[in-house]
Amino acid sequence: MLQILADGLIIGSVVSLGAIGLSMTLSIVRFSNFSHGELLGWGAYLALVASTALNATSAAWSVPIGPFSFGWGLLLALVLACGLTALLAFGLDAILFKRLRKQGSITLVIASFGAALALRNLLLFWQGGIPRYYSENLQIAIAFLPRSTWGGLRATPDQLLVLALALLTVTGLHFFLQRSTLGRAMRATALNPGLARVTGIDPERVLRATWLMGGVLAAIAGVFAGLTVQMRPTMGVDLLLPLFAAVILGGIGSIWGAVLGGFVVGMAESVSITLVGAEYRSAAAFVVLIAILMVRPRGLFGERN
Amino acid sequence: MNTDLALVVESLEAGYEPGLPIVRNACLSVRQGEIMAILGPNGAGKSSFVKAVAGLLPISMGRCLLGSRDITRTPAHRMVFEGLAFVPQTENVFINLSVAENLELAAAIIKARLRDSLEPVYAMFPDLHRQRALPAGQLSGGQRQMLAVARALIAKPKLLILDEPSAGLSPLLVQQVFAKLREVRDSGITVLLVEQNVKAALALADRAAVLVEGKERIVGKSQDLLNDERVAELYLGRHTGKQRAKEGI
Repeated sequence: MLQILADGLIIGSVVSLGAIGLSMTLSIVRFSNFSHGELLGWGAYLALVASTALNATSAAWSVPIGPFSFGWGLLLALVLACGLTALLAFGLDAILFKRLRKQGSITLVIASFGAALALRNLLLFWQGGIPRYYSENLQIAIAFLPRSTWGGLRATPDQLLVLALALLTVTGLHFFLQRSTLGRAMRATALNPGLARVTGIDPERVLRATWLMGGVLAAIAGVFAGLTVQMRPTMGVDLLLPLFAAVILGGIGSIWGAVLGGFVVGMAESVSITLVGAEYRSAAAFVVLIAILMVRPRGLFGERN
Repeated sequence: MNTDLALVVESLEAGYEPGLPIVRNACLSVRQGEIMAILGPNGAGKSSFVKAVAGLLPISMGRCLLGSRDITRTPAHRMVFEGLAFVPQTENVFINLSVAENLELAAAIIKARLRDSLEPVYAMFPDLHRQRALPAGQLSGGQRQMLAVARALIAKPKLLILDEPSAGLSPLLVQQVFAKLREVRDSGITVLLVEQNVKAALALADRAAVLVEGKERIVGKSQDLLNDERVAELYLGRHTGKQRAKEGI
């Protein structure tokens, strides 16, 4: 029982971080970006390539830190992957979405489908279809509760780190959006783009920041997914529907909504894996989505101007 | 260069689609420290005119001078830094943010020190200070309009442009908002507003211009326009084609 909740939290960490970026694109750039999932996949693989390269320069990079399965190399690789994925998101906007923005959101949505296909297959071509891992080291899960109590509770140090870092990232993002001028400008643009402009906010600057931040968050989510599950070139498209479910569930444009939505989706998947089997996990997220939308049509934290 | 002019618009042509101008060859001069009203029947292009001046509508011909600065190609988000503040007709406050957050956001964007920019505005709008913690969406229509004006004043503009500040307000509230606009003018800020409400606007404004089919037709002192038969006829819709030809309307 508790184990299902714990597993849900880990899945939820990944979904939340991905969903925040998707939600920001939806509310600021104003279209459903179906290529957002691929940014998670690319982020994960870019970190893999970077950490493999680092490990090749010195074995010290791959020496596991404390109880974790990975060394400092992966952490540095994560930072590099964040930068590169942000550039990828930004580049995608510059060469594709920016040109189509005047055509309206439907054109952008279709273009993002195309971008997703291209990105996914490029990743498959580059990295092959075999599942990959950051580290071959096996991790022993720590037992927090014995099996006799509520079915027991076990988690690996990696999983706990992922959960902690996800919460830290979201908290940092929250303060950025609440306190910094750029963060406030982003919120204002999401709420009312016309008024934001006459208030003196440069819309292009806000769009650039949104793409860069979406890319960074996607890379973190992708690496966390690779760390707690595995990496496949199709991981982006596999995560896409849960991401959308989380965004809609939480309410478009709300950061905490996306986080809560992410955890609800994570829980739903975790419960369904245990109760009805792993093949129905995506369906579970949507059952919960439908149930919540029937009660709250704008999502849990939906904002409207 | 006449330094008494706050805004000079010369042969302005503007519209959403290239080749389909809504504003055609419109000229206007607004004097320093006056309230000028732009009047005109529905669809005359009044809102489009001020939106074009504020950088929100593409300009295809002509030019706009704010004082001695050419602002014809200045993008909308740079206008506050040039000294031009614009209050849109609708959705002119961030309803999810509190009154204080609305004003602080405006100050943060122009990187003004909060105390220096908020205090004079709160002094002018004591009601907003009382309601500063309230979400702007919960303000009454009149207070919301006051907040929209207050938000625009944070940037200490030289020229304040308002797109139909009386829209959706009861006559009493219109009087209150207009009284506040007089205070704004008396503080040294030039005011240009678009109005449907002709009588109230002529009572408020020092001068007015009537815009017909995207072009200014009658310009003068409010008092003169109030007694001008052409203005009355334009609004009562009584003028015939013959009169049009005779009077050049």
